[in-house]
Amino acid sequence: MKKSVVTLGIAVGAALAAVAGASANSSAPARQTSGASCAKTITIPLLSVLTGPAAFLGNDQLSWAKLAAKQEGPKLGHTFNIVGVDTQLDPAIAATAAQKVIANGSYVVVIGPATSGGSAATSKAFFDAKVAHISPSATNAALTKSVGGKAPTATAAFYRVVADDSVQGTRDAQYIAGTLKAKKVAIIDAQEPYSVGLADIVGTYLKANGVTVQRESVTNNTTDFSAIVNKISKDTDVVFTPWQVASNAQVLGVTLREAGKAAVVFGTDGTDDPSSFKLAGSFVSNFGPDISADAAGKVYVDAWNKDNPGKTFSAFGPPAYLAAQVAMQAITKACKTNQNTYATRASVFSLVRNVKVANPIYGGAFRFSTKTHDPLNGSFWLFQIGSDGKYKQIGKLGS
Amino acid sequence: MVPGCSAARDHTFLLLVDQFIQTIVDSVTLGSVYALIALGYSMVYGILKLLPFAHGDVFMVGSFIGLGVLKAFGGAANPTISIWLVLVLMALAAMAGCAVLGVAVERFAYRPLRNAPRIAPLISALGTSFFIAYSMQLLFGANHRTYDTFTMAGGKLFLSGITWGPLHVSLVRIIVVVVAVVMMVVLWLLVSRTRMGKAMRATSFDREAAMMMGVDVDKVIVFTFVLGSALAGIGGVLFSLRTDVYSQMGFLAGLSGFTAAVIGGIGSVPGAMLGGYLLGLVETVTQTYISTGWSNLFIFSILVAFMLIRPSGILGKAEIKKV
Amino acid sequence: MSSGPRIGKDEWVAREGEQRERRSGLLGGIARAQARTPWWAFLAVFVVLACLVPVVTSDSYIQRVAFDTTIFMLLALGLNVVVGWGGLLDLGYVAFFGFGAYLYAILGSSQFDIHVPTIVVIPVVTLAGALLGLVVGLPSWRLVGDYLAIVTLFALQIFRSVITNGHDIFGSNVTNGVNGILKVDPLSWFGHALPVSHRGLFNPDYLYVAIGFFVVIYVALRFVNASRTGRAWRALREDPLAATSMGMPIDWLKLMAFAFGAGIAALTGTLTASVNAAVFPDNFDVPQLITIYAMVILGGAGSQAGAIVGAVVVNVMLESLRSPDNSRWVFYIAVLLLLLPVLRSARKYLLLVAATVAFGFAVHAIAGAIDPAWTRGTTPGGGAVGRAIAHWAIVPQSLGSTREASYVLLIAAVLAVVTIRGRWKLVALVPTLYLASFVWENVLGPQPEITRYILLGAILVGVMTTRPAGILGERRVEIV
Repeated sequence: MKKSVVTLGIAVGAALAAVAGASANSSAPARQTSGASCAKTITIPLLSVLTGPAAFLGNDQLSWAKLAAKQEGPKLGHTFNIVGVDTQLDPAIAATAAQKVIANGSYVVVIGPATSGGSAATSKAFFDAKVAHISPSATNAALTKSVGGKAPTATAAFYRVVADDSVQGTRDAQYIAGTLKAKKVAIIDAQEPYSVGLADIVGTYLKANGVTVQRESVTNNTTDFSAIVNKISKDTDVVFTPWQVASNAQVLGVTLREAGKAAVVFGTDGTDDPSSFKLAGSFVSNFGPDISADAAGKVYVDAWNKDNPGKTFSAFGPPAYLAAQVAMQAITKACKTNQNTYATRASVFSLVRNVKVANPIYGGAFRFSTKTHDPLNGSFWLFQIGSDGKYKQIGKLGS
Repeated sequence: MVPGCSAARDHTFLLLVDQFIQTIVDSVTLGSVYALIALGYSMVYGILKLLPFAHGDVFMVGSFIGLGVLKAFGGAANPTISIWLVLVLMALAAMAGCAVLGVAVERFAYRPLRNAPRIAPLISALGTSFFIAYSMQLLFGANHRTYDTFTMAGGKLFLSGITWGPLHVSLVRIIVVVVAVVMMVVLWLLVSRTRMGKAMRATSFDREAAMMMGVDVDKVIVFTFVLGSALAGIGGVLFSLRTDVYSQMGFLAGLSGFTAAVIGGIGSVPGAMLGGYLLGLVETVTQTYISTGWSNLFIFSILVAFMLIRPSGILGKAEIKKV
Repeated sequence: MSSGPRIGKDEWVAREGEQRERRSGLLGGIARAQARTPWWAFLAVFVVLACLVPVVTSDSYIQRVAFDTTIFMLLALGLNVVVGWGGLLDLGYVAFFGFGAYLYAILGSSQFDIHVPTIVVIPVVTLAGALLGLVVGLPSWRLVGDYLAIVTLFALQIFRSVITNGHDIFGSNVTNGVNGILKVDPLSWFGHALPVSHRGLFNPDYLYVAIGFFVVIYVALRFVNASRTGRAWRALREDPLAATSMGMPIDWLKLMAFAFGAGIAALTGTLTASVNAAVFPDNFDVPQLITIYAMVILGGAGSQAGAIVGAVVVNVMLESLRSPDNSRWVFYIAVLLLLLPVLRSARKYLLLVAATVAFGFAVHAIAGAIDPAWTRGTTPGGGAVGRAIAHWAIVPQSLGSTREASYVLLIAAVLAVVTIRGRWKLVALVPTLYLASFVWENVLGPQPEITRYILLGAILVGVMTTRPAGILGERRVEIV
């Protein structure tokens, strides 16, 4: 007993000493050499959702980024390799994953994190480590812009190759109110940041323009949309579904038709998946045009199909190709400035901003805006689903 | 003809009645699937006093087997044989496949733990659940897929059915409910009228006494898993007729089934059925009449209150621990 | 495998003692040595080792994993009080963890622009967590067993519903909803903030703080366990009826167990919130709950050392399975370890390994002779070991449907081996092991993110079916 008391005393003392000592000691930790050898294989980590219910998203991004490394790497004169790092849907896991990436000095740039929450949670660490991170899918407007008077949630290390939700939300709302002339709109969010952000933007715009808005939510354990459909009145013109799972939009649409309700389902990039969302008459807005529709894009799709036989991909895939292109070009430039010896984090960090992709996967030309780290003139394209289930490109949204 | 003002009020009233009846129809459809999953939970619990957490994943595999059969016969839009026959084959294949899977799970993950402390088989069941769900993801990817039921027979499944005024009960809902109810009736007959059913009830009541009376308990347990898993399998197919198919769907479904089984009184076969329908009702009514965003708060508060009022569920026996 | 008697559980109890006596060999020796060493010696060695992590490696990722592992050790210790000692199945445990993290974030962030100092906020959060534990534990007065479990699971769902919708609680934004609370304050000591990172690298000081908390909690719980309350908890766990008739206030004991567990979880939540500088609803959900349960039960419910071993094993395993290079080691070591209890004889063991290696070279040579493409692929991750293995295991250039078929075949083969008894088991193991390495190098290895969970699932089933009481758990039998 006596022995135990002594031990307890020592233990408590040690714990307190640790807290006190740790606070006093704030010397910087050990050295950190960061650089990728230009002559060897350069590995770029991709932080995304690789397991769990949304794992398809990360697996699509990984396969497309790998395709970019395989196809574009040789053109740039280097060998690139993409490794997936799982963040799940959990920003805390993303934070640990970011440590893994930062700790490895040979990683000079990062693709991702895929989710807006993960990007916000890791951006400061990446900034402090001078690692630029380029997300192919984090579209929350607050990451790069001040929303509601609050400072942007991401740092200057953050870039994204897709336009943000404020662009998408506003243009979608303009189309719904203007072109579709909707009087009554139901907006259903999926209780996650991407979805709620878009739903809020669209809702605010529509209300300001005199449209009656009904707001509903799908919780994490909603499997059947009957109750929500039952709440949507027959005279509702449009149901806006900013979701990440395309098949859910299909299920909702079918449930609407089943109940004899004619409302048009209007989905966003998350629901752009012709293999599962194919309800005739529905709309989908996306940050890129349909790459399988034109001959140039078809080449990419065929190459992807060759590497991933028997699989399908969602709209999350191709932007990862572009993000990988940006990352690889920045590294190539950094190599050049350093006589092709090695690319440092700091030089890549400063070079990402000026990367121009001459022929991105979506056609046109790609570069970042001079004001924020968003794509310059980022646009959204609108598709309508035909009676054959095929997506028909209606055009660019807004100006 | 009634004056305009009152007609408008009548119209609103009719809409409300219509919405309410629709809510009941929705809840019965949802509840049927929950009941099918809950039955497996409850029967296994009754016999083994074990929560088979992998049951939801058996359900998921059933759903995938259905998809496989559908694909093998050319898909929903242009099947090589009659779509109705395909649906029957999907259900049968899912039942058979899941029965095999269920027996395998019992044999390898639960049987070695039959006399261990109760928490060990629980963790083994969780491990099995992880194993099955992620194996499916490894083999078939993480994408959500659908049966494309809307293209079956030109949308007949959803667009035709019983229409009565503004109320529409679609064919697919009728199929889900009728098949589920038939399954439950068959199960009820098996449990109450057959020798094996009697053995099941005896084992559930007191395993050791049943053993001493000459009941082959191993056989009873295997039979229970065959029944429970087959129900989960057909439940998976029925569920996916209206929703989608993906490798991680089993977890949520299992949780709902578990909830239904407990509120019905775990271990009780009719209790599981009632629990399934009650859970479906609470979910649908909350979402329709209270809030969709806050629905979980209300659903689970109602369920907590219910459990406090009836600590052993609807039909559960008050648990008496013998010394 | 099923070593239990067919009739009567008392016989099992009797046999348990017998088995323990008979244990010999290496494991038995370790067990006896362990019994002789005092508990604080283990703790001291463990703490010193943990504190040495930042000294040994400057890799901030490893330091961060050490921190996360300490967090899980704390959570496992807390859950062990409720589940291991109190015998109460608390499926809402992770809600207390979330509650602590959220309360810390609300009291120290720009959300309401309140910045309460750490020295105040940690006791407040811990107490508030314990109080919440009392409230959530109240149904335990009326509900037992699995009914209690489901009500606590409902409590978790209610908690999640509140935090995800908490951006609009009667018009005020409390939890910032699904976007979570960002820019949460770091820990501070009388005005000195303890920065979370230096140039993006994890600040190892947080590891020391977490270890400090861990030691305090561990020692405190040890004393609680040895006290009257601790003994009463065990009585409650073994037999509530008998405990009541002995005059124990079992209702209060249950609440105490809940409150202790909840308080520890809430305390741990403050550490997580401060180190991540953010809280999100998805951090506190059923998957996290399952992970913590797996740790406690795998280590051995009721044993504090077991909870720690469980936390270390599960978290380090899950982390090291993230990269193909490490995961190869984990896989082969796990396979070799799982074989130990199956074979129970050093000679058979060596024979089997040798036979498998020989079998592999033979198959590799034959396959290479028939079609060189079958052996021309590369193993995931590469590296010296990877290249060496490519000379032994068949790694074809392209797999096609062999991929699915080989995986399913492997599962069937493993299940068959488990069933077969006697000499044939050894014979069947040789091709099965070789098939396992084929599947690893071709199917599982390239997808480490999915493989982690497959392997975790398999290990949970494997350990539970061979050692139902967990790695360090005391063997006991529940009398129902």
